[in-house]
Amino acid sequence: MQRSSWLGLAFLSPALIVVFLFFLVPVVLTGFFSFTNMSTATGVKGGAYVLNASGLRALTDAGLPKSTLEQIEGAGYRVDAKGLEALALDFGKPVAEEFAKLHEGEVFSKRRDVERALKDLRSNPIRKTRDRKQAADLFKRSLMNERFDSPTAFEAALEEAGIPETDRPLITEVAYTGWVWTTDNFGFLFSLDSTWQYAKNTVIYVVFTLSFNVLFGLFLAIATFYLPAGQAAAFRAIWFLPRILPPVLYIVMWRWFTWDTGFISTVLSGFGVPPRNWMLDTEFHAWTTIVLINGFVGASMGMIVFSSAIRAIPASMLYASEVDGASRLQQIWYIILPQLRWPILFITSYQTMSLLTSFEYIYLATDGGPGGATEVWALAAFHTALNNYGGNLQYGLGATYALILVVIGLLASLAYLRLFNFRNLLVKPRIEG
Amino acid sequence: MRISIENFTKTFGDTTVIDNMSLDINSGEMLALLGPSGCGKSTTLFAICGIHRMNGGRLLFGDRDVTKVSSQKRNVGVVFQNYALYPHMNVYDNIAFPLKVRKESKAEIDRKVQEIATLVHIGELLQRRPAQLSGGQQQRVALARALVRKPDILLLDEPLANLDAKLRLEMRSEIRRIQLQTGITAVLVTHDQVEAMSMCDRIAIMDEGRIVQLSSPKEMYEDPSSDFVAGFLGNPPIAFLEGSVDEAGFRLANSEVTLPVPAGITLPGPGSAMRFGIRPEFFQPDNALKVKGRISFVETQGREELYDVTLENGAVLRSIQTQGGSYRVGDEVTWGIAADRILAFGPDGDRL
Repeated sequence: MQRSSWLGLAFLSPALIVVFLFFLVPVVLTGFFSFTNMSTATGVKGGAYVLNASGLRALTDAGLPKSTLEQIEGAGYRVDAKGLEALALDFGKPVAEEFAKLHEGEVFSKRRDVERALKDLRSNPIRKTRDRKQAADLFKRSLMNERFDSPTAFEAALEEAGIPETDRPLITEVAYTGWVWTTDNFGFLFSLDSTWQYAKNTVIYVVFTLSFNVLFGLFLAIATFYLPAGQAAAFRAIWFLPRILPPVLYIVMWRWFTWDTGFISTVLSGFGVPPRNWMLDTEFHAWTTIVLINGFVGASMGMIVFSSAIRAIPASMLYASEVDGASRLQQIWYIILPQLRWPILFITSYQTMSLLTSFEYIYLATDGGPGGATEVWALAAFHTALNNYGGNLQYGLGATYALILVVIGLLASLAYLRLFNFRNLLVKPRIEG
Repeated sequence: MRISIENFTKTFGDTTVIDNMSLDINSGEMLALLGPSGCGKSTTLFAICGIHRMNGGRLLFGDRDVTKVSSQKRNVGVVFQNYALYPHMNVYDNIAFPLKVRKESKAEIDRKVQEIATLVHIGELLQRRPAQLSGGQQQRVALARALVRKPDILLLDEPLANLDAKLRLEMRSEIRRIQLQTGITAVLVTHDQVEAMSMCDRIAIMDEGRIVQLSSPKEMYEDPSSDFVAGFLGNPPIAFLEGSVDEAGFRLANSEVTLPVPAGITLPGPGSAMRFGIRPEFFQPDNALKVKGRISFVETQGREELYDVTLENGAVLRSIQTQGGSYRVGDEVTWGIAADRILAFGPDGDRL
């Protein structure tokens, strides 16, 4: 390799590192997480083996035989060191020692048997039946709520409890508290009604904001093209403000504008309209605000791109259309717009991509409200995985939402690439000004 | 249709490009606006078609005052220097555009487009895009688009500047043919005197926003009103001899050589500066009025040879002769000037 090639690579390396860290790694991790059931409950590291009430319910639902379930709940009475220690504490050491000598290691299946064994002790120190019952309970052993650190320890416990070998794998699986690989996220996601609502919201969001972006950007570009240079520059600068404003500040201003004590309410109260939150009071208002908030930011970009494209049209071509008899509108329709075809396509595709994945302005403005009406797919992914009111952050499910978005984005890019026929775009135009 | 420009003034910001210009163009005539770049010839053209508004003066098409009429309503066809074809339309749509914006019927448009395409010989190119055409073909399309709606006036802004030398020759006669065939009043803007002379009925030669001379090509060549006009027309260009008025006639600067002044010229007072203009074809070995010099440059042009002859005082005369003289650089020659073809100019450049 030549030295200059290394130099090029060196110059490229910061970009490559950024692409790797902020694009490739997140995408790969998203793919990875979406095939797990990770959540706050499972943690991201491994877990232990515990059977609790909800686990037992899951086993019941899975159709485990009743006998096995009973075995789990009541695994019998075992005379072991733990039980003996408790016996010594409650009823004195001699009793415990004698009981140990006679029965240590034995397993009784019924409490009555334990009681009889206690009664049969030589000294019969526990006279009351109630006390004997209590003492017998000290040896009761159950698999419920017992924590095992490894699968082998758990399986050993199952075996000891005499649970049939065929049922054991299922019980082990249910008892595991860590995350596991799974493809269930996808099926689960599409079985939710809310998922389809998110999809619908996303379509509304993208279609309306995109139309606003492109059409308003186009309008601004054409309108300023016909203005004198100074006025045009001033207008463009004003319409560019939303983009250069910090997003949080921009949204805070919108919230002031729409609050029940904000600008609109204050002005309208003068006309007898009761104050209300104009952003969140109805779904329609919420959507209008969202489209405007995003639209004003996006339109400025379209405006800049379209403006420069219009200026690139040779002046003589516009003169020619005028002497050919075309009015202003005909000039725009027949001469300017056809030559803006590629910029319009570019802005459309670029904005589709960024709108599909963007949720920051919605998050700051309505946070998906009112009642999930403006909860778009990307925001749902964020909420599910990272910012959940319930507190159980479902990393796996959230990643699944995100992964589907990545796939849609890639498919859309490919479609746009085809539509653009990028090789054509890169060919140098043969007609020069 | 007759075009009258009366007291036309045009300013861009603080710069006055054209000041109080008047020009009449006869109906059916082809007139050239000839001049160096920046002389205001394109500005005049754009004012005629309405792209530029006039700051002062009047413009009449026939008897109609169109000074305040928008370019859309003037019914003027324009061919631009870069042709300004619409790249997203094919040739047919380009030509049909002026008719389409007038909302003419499809059948009518088709008839007219076919007719004009036949006239400019591009019948087989109608489905092509401008990018798929050669320069000459684009030129023809631009011409067809300008003519298709039968404009009152045809304006041509440097139409041949972007063509190669051979095509330029071809299109020169083509444009003239089409203009004569349609009988349209045409204005040609050009900086090329050959184009102006070969294509037009009359030439208006412009300098610094003024029309310096307005006459037919032959008249302008033989009888220029100033040294600017004489210097602008003719290829190879005219040679000038600087000098002053003397008792004997015209005395060359820095020299004792004097030349007789042609008859019929009123001389300014003795001692005042004066120039003789001598065209290369009138400085030949056989002519009577002999001057001595040394050949300083030889240019072979094929059929002819061009010689630069440096006189003793350093002035240079040009001579164009048919092949076969076999002169070389450095040769001492004594060639003659055709005394009756000398053009004499006074100190202000005006013809005497």
